[in-house]
Amino acid sequence: MQEQKAIISWKVAGVSLGLLLTLATFLVKPLGVSTQFVVTDAVVMHAVAPEATEKNVYLAKYGEKEAWGIGYGWMLVFGMFVGGLLTSRVFKSRQPEVDKGSMPKMWEAVFGGSRQKRFAAAFFGGALLLFGARLAGGCTSGHMISGMSQLALSSFIFAIFTFGSAIAMAHLLYRQRG
Amino acid sequence: MQLMTIGFLIGCAFGAILFMGGASSYRRILGTLLLKDMLIIKLMCTAIGVGTLGVYLLDLGGLANMSIKPAYVGGVAIGGVVFGIGWAVSGYCPGTCIVGAAEGKADAIFTVLGGLLGALLFSFAFPYIEGALIEPLNFGKVTVQDLTGISGIYLALPFSALLLMLSFVVLKDRYD
Repeated sequence: MQEQKAIISWKVAGVSLGLLLTLATFLVKPLGVSTQFVVTDAVVMHAVAPEATEKNVYLAKYGEKEAWGIGYGWMLVFGMFVGGLLTSRVFKSRQPEVDKGSMPKMWEAVFGGSRQKRFAAAFFGGALLLFGARLAGGCTSGHMISGMSQLALSSFIFAIFTFGSAIAMAHLLYRQRG
Repeated sequence: MQLMTIGFLIGCAFGAILFMGGASSYRRILGTLLLKDMLIIKLMCTAIGVGTLGVYLLDLGGLANMSIKPAYVGGVAIGGVVFGIGWAVSGYCPGTCIVGAAEGKADAIFTVLGGLLGALLFSFAFPYIEGALIEPLNFGKVTVQDLTGISGIYLALPFSALLLMLSFVVLKDRYD
């Protein structure tokens, strides 16, 4: 397990991420991801069902109409995709084999080799992630990394409840293996 | 236009760091949540440690564009619990599923799609839960600096030192 190291160490990644957050806070604002899921929904919904979208209080309340659509924040998340795409191609040979593909070995050992089962869990988990993130007002990047770096009270509350629940759920899922 | 380019470039760097640091790895995320593999937590503590120092040094010069999220205790706590379950079940968070999808991992693509549905469901549920979870117990956009009256940099220094100590000295992987 330990010998299958990531391409850069946690020290390099952690310091780089802290510096990137500082740079972003200096240039524009701290990092955030989860809002852009709503923005993407709003863009799609405006095209598909404009009336229902206009009536949606949340979409109306969270941002002026002009603010919806492809702006700074959305480009940041799009950039994450491009950054991940480029580095995963360039450094393909240096990524540990165990971290490749969409059927994690750990998952397969406990829940079997059904792709449908893994994808259903990934989809359902994703829905909970974003429902929770929007209710709390942010996710790992906006609330935890950016929020705690600004010493925001709400982000400490979020971190405690998120880690508490995630650790409990992970132990419940993998209880057979201890 | 320039702002969009800055966003794109910062995003590229963010995505690259997450991928290269192994943060989009299911084994690492679940290893962390099972309290065996400390990589992700050490990465996060280091990032927050450096970030806190960076943000509050900028703040000393009046150069920090902060964005504090409001502390409505009920919604933040329950949102956190729901988020945590989704995190453990999918093995991703909203940022790392984007990176996983970029790697071509099909499960990450399903997490992104589920996320779009979850965010949409929340936007329609919002009017029904606002009164119960977001309006009450709302302490507003407060920081520890506001709560204690201590100047931010004097809080940032020890907090940052504590996090870096945790990462570099205290936390160790626990494999059987």
